[in-house]
Amino acid sequence: MGLFQKLVSFLGVGRKEVNVLVVGLNNSGKSTVVNNFKSDDDKVTDIVPTVGFSVERFQKQNLAFTAFDMSGHGRYRDLWEHYYKDCHGIIFVIDSSDRLRLVVVKEELDLLLQHPDICQKKIPILFFANKMDCKEALSSVKIAAALGLDKIMDKPWHISASNALTGEGLQEGVEWLTQQIRELLSVKN
Amino acid sequence: MSGFKRDKKEEEDGGGNPFQNIEKTIVLQEARIFNETSVNPRKCTPILTKLLYMLNQGEQLSAKEATDVFFAMTKLFQSKDVILRRLVYLGIKELSSIADDVIIVTSSLTKDMTGKEDLYRAAAIRALCSITDATMLQAIERYMKQAIVDRNPAVSSAALVSSLHMTKIAPEVVKRWVNEAQEAVNSDNIMVQFHALGLLYHIRKSDRLAVTKLVARLTRTMSSKSPYAVCMLIRIAAKLIEEEGADSNSPYFDYIEACFRHKSEMVVYEAAYAVVNLNRTTNRELAQAISVLQLFCGSPKPTLRFAAVRTLNQVAISHPAAVTACNLDLENLITDSNRSIATLAITTLLKTGAESSVDRLMKQIATFVSEISDEFKVVVVQAIRALALKFPRKHSVLMNFLSAMLRDEGGLEYKASIADTIITIIEDNPEAKETGLAHLCEFIEDCEHVSLAVRILHLLGKEGPKTKQPSRYIRFIYNRVILECPSIRAAAVSAMAQFGASCPDLLENIQVLLARCQMDSDDEVRDRATYYSSILNRQDKSLYNNYILETLQVSVPALERTLKEYTNSNTEQPFDIKTIPVSVVSKPDDHEVKQKTEGMLISSGPAKITPSREENFATKLNSLPGIQILGPLFRSSEIVELTESETEYVVRCVKHCYTHHMVLQFDCLNTLNDQLLENVRVQLDTSEGYEIISDIPCPKLPYNETGTAYVIVKFPDGDLPNSIATFGAVLKFVVKDCDPATGLPDIDEGYDDEYMLEDLEITLGDQIQKVSRANWGSAWEEAESTFYEMEDTYSLSSMNTLEEAVINIIKFLGLQPAERSDKVPKGKTTHTLLLAGIFRGGIDILVRAKLALADGVTMQLTVRSTDESIAELITSVVG
Repeated sequence: MGLFQKLVSFLGVGRKEVNVLVVGLNNSGKSTVVNNFKSDDDKVTDIVPTVGFSVERFQKQNLAFTAFDMSGHGRYRDLWEHYYKDCHGIIFVIDSSDRLRLVVVKEELDLLLQHPDICQKKIPILFFANKMDCKEALSSVKIAAALGLDKIMDKPWHISASNALTGEGLQEGVEWLTQQIRELLSVKN
Repeated sequence: MSGFKRDKKEEEDGGGNPFQNIEKTIVLQEARIFNETSVNPRKCTPILTKLLYMLNQGEQLSAKEATDVFFAMTKLFQSKDVILRRLVYLGIKELSSIADDVIIVTSSLTKDMTGKEDLYRAAAIRALCSITDATMLQAIERYMKQAIVDRNPAVSSAALVSSLHMTKIAPEVVKRWVNEAQEAVNSDNIMVQFHALGLLYHIRKSDRLAVTKLVARLTRTMSSKSPYAVCMLIRIAAKLIEEEGADSNSPYFDYIEACFRHKSEMVVYEAAYAVVNLNRTTNRELAQAISVLQLFCGSPKPTLRFAAVRTLNQVAISHPAAVTACNLDLENLITDSNRSIATLAITTLLKTGAESSVDRLMKQIATFVSEISDEFKVVVVQAIRALALKFPRKHSVLMNFLSAMLRDEGGLEYKASIADTIITIIEDNPEAKETGLAHLCEFIEDCEHVSLAVRILHLLGKEGPKTKQPSRYIRFIYNRVILECPSIRAAAVSAMAQFGASCPDLLENIQVLLARCQMDSDDEVRDRATYYSSILNRQDKSLYNNYILETLQVSVPALERTLKEYTNSNTEQPFDIKTIPVSVVSKPDDHEVKQKTEGMLISSGPAKITPSREENFATKLNSLPGIQILGPLFRSSEIVELTESETEYVVRCVKHCYTHHMVLQFDCLNTLNDQLLENVRVQLDTSEGYEIISDIPCPKLPYNETGTAYVIVKFPDGDLPNSIATFGAVLKFVVKDCDPATGLPDIDEGYDDEYMLEDLEITLGDQIQKVSRANWGSAWEEAESTFYEMEDTYSLSSMNTLEEAVINIIKFLGLQPAERSDKVPKGKTTHTLLLAGIFRGGIDILVRAKLALADGVTMQLTVRSTDESIAELITSVVG
């Protein structure tokens, strides 16, 4: 970080607060992904299934992210919609080794895209094809095809293969998201 | 900071409560600010405070509103502001019972509860437990266990208290936390120790052995740092002593005694309190406890003085001699500047004092009775009641004092207690009757409590006609008709009718008054007046008895239900009041006992009104096939155990009596976990004359579940003596062996088996419903001409006292004693017991038993009944 940037962030001038929503099926690795973004002091060692949601904060390139890490358990999925309003971006985590439930993922994604709070807005969606290290993992291209991502016309989206345990692929994805949100904010302003 | 300043300024400007004029819709509207991307704690905090204030004022939110505001509130978790976060916890707790999907915050709360910020942790635990249900508790169990043994006392206490609340919804899960609670008991912190002991006791309280062990261990080893915990331990120990009936050598006693020397006053008081309240204390311990209380009476701290004198007041009746020892100290407290202490001191002295000091003490009370609160006035009244029972000769002084108190200002409870006391004195002491009634008459002239006035009018109607000069009460009663509201007027009309029915010479005047009442503006008053005047016109004694002097004997809820059905059914048949079950005479006393033993930890809340037992049975039985033709349920007996309580199968029987049939309900419990019983039925070996109509088996009886089988039998036709019988009973069933873990049978085919039960007896009492007769004497006189009478003399050689004989006769015949004749005055050798009841089929029974004590009890039994064979049956059965 350059001296100027440090000064800017110190004064809190250029810093923007943004909310992102982290969703996906249970056991896809949402909390692990978010854990990876946090600074080293805040990281937790063991991740347990989230019940409801938890709020996490992290910094990326002058943007202060507040991530609502939602529970992916079937029982709580219909609670996601309470947080659709006022979010600037969505991170959708997919377990790429779980071929069986890919149809469930598609169904949940379609529901999300059709929701009135989401379909009107041009918010960026970042897909993580997580658990790429698993043997039977599908490639990100295959997943994109299976979910029919090419049909999403009105929103910017990006898919990147990732391994949340090591952090591989996460940086690339979140940089894209930061860029998109920045553009979105500047357009608004 | 600036926010605070501003708020303060506003407050000064507006004056008074800044939240005075808040409105629900506006607050909910403002709460939308929570949804904004970046949370502004300065704005959100006052809004959340308003919301909490509103909820605490009793404002109701709908589920939708609550859910919306709840989810908006969850967004505040992104703020790091400590005050805001703690307000969020409070909000979660308030809304947890109204909003949907509150489990959404589970993870956020567990994060706070295990986090580094100590300020969050305790509050987060409490909030978490308020949103958790039994299924979710498993998920947070690990954290709760950790929190219980946490080093921070606030966290540990919060976890312990929350666990205590959780035992209501998931006792099994909380039971597993015993080890953690054990560890917390040894904590150094006062509160943690107390709360841990509370939880431990609550987990184990149903298991006597475990409680005994717990107390034994703790009384020996506990570093008794926490006075609260020691107090609680004393209470548990006292309860154990009561339950076990332990004598003064028991270790619990030693422990309580040792506590007299504890350095905390609270503990010493608790120990003394426990000792004086024990049922069986020896004089030595009692003296010790009383001397402790005596010491406290002279303490400079008002709390201690109050506690001591209050306890002395409570036990003044049970241990008068011991309390008398403190009389000197109590005398000093009469002039205490704290009026509550002074009142209690005087009333205690009244309870223990001699007859000669009554006048002096009454004068003393009169000087400040107007200065004390209603609650303490009630205490004074109760003392006077005790005094009046003790010294009947003093009734005029006491009565004058009570009537003076009646004239003072006061709430309903206070006035009711005075009226109650006067009524008790009247009932107890015939000499006081006239003056007492006169005072009550005067009181209703100027009584603002409708319910009380109605009660007194009813009493006047009952007692007035029996006085020497009944006519003087009529003026008071008729004044009510002119001056009061409809419900009092109606009660006054009923009271006057009573006079008309009981005093023939007043009848003419009453008729004139009733005729005037028929012009009343209220329907009820007019109806009653017309009803009574037409009955009085008939000049028929039996009509008087049945329709004026006696009260309605059927159960009111059943009457209401049947009438509703009748009006909906659209039949030609007239309504028959005989089809309604007779109301059961309630026993008020077992309710109070319950309240005493519970409430050590968790208050039980106001008692719920439960439908009567008969009502419950009736609805259950009505679902059986073929039961409708039997007519209405007449009576259900008490539960009879047909097995020992610790056997393989536990069978209990309830006998439901109908007009011509008996339905036997067998509740069976299977206590073998490796057996599944099917087709469970009870085979009866009926005696002569009885006929089994049908047999309804219980199809399936898994482990630890109660199933019910029924047998319907018909009473012998026209052969009453044979209706009292003993049946042999055998439980028959098909056994299937099954896996204890899953409860699924191993094989499809089972085998037949049977199990002998104890014999089942059908007694006379099963066929008789108790009826309380308000006016037994006139019913008896009337029955002389119209009823059949049987008389016989018996010698009850096995009874040694009259009390014993009375209890046994009542139990055997299943009749209700009338006119309080079940209480045998002390020191008498003869007694007359008056009983009343109804035999199945609606046949009235009146029984008079004259008892004499001489080498056993001799009884002359006179039975009057509308049916000759029943009178005969009763006399023959007794012999």
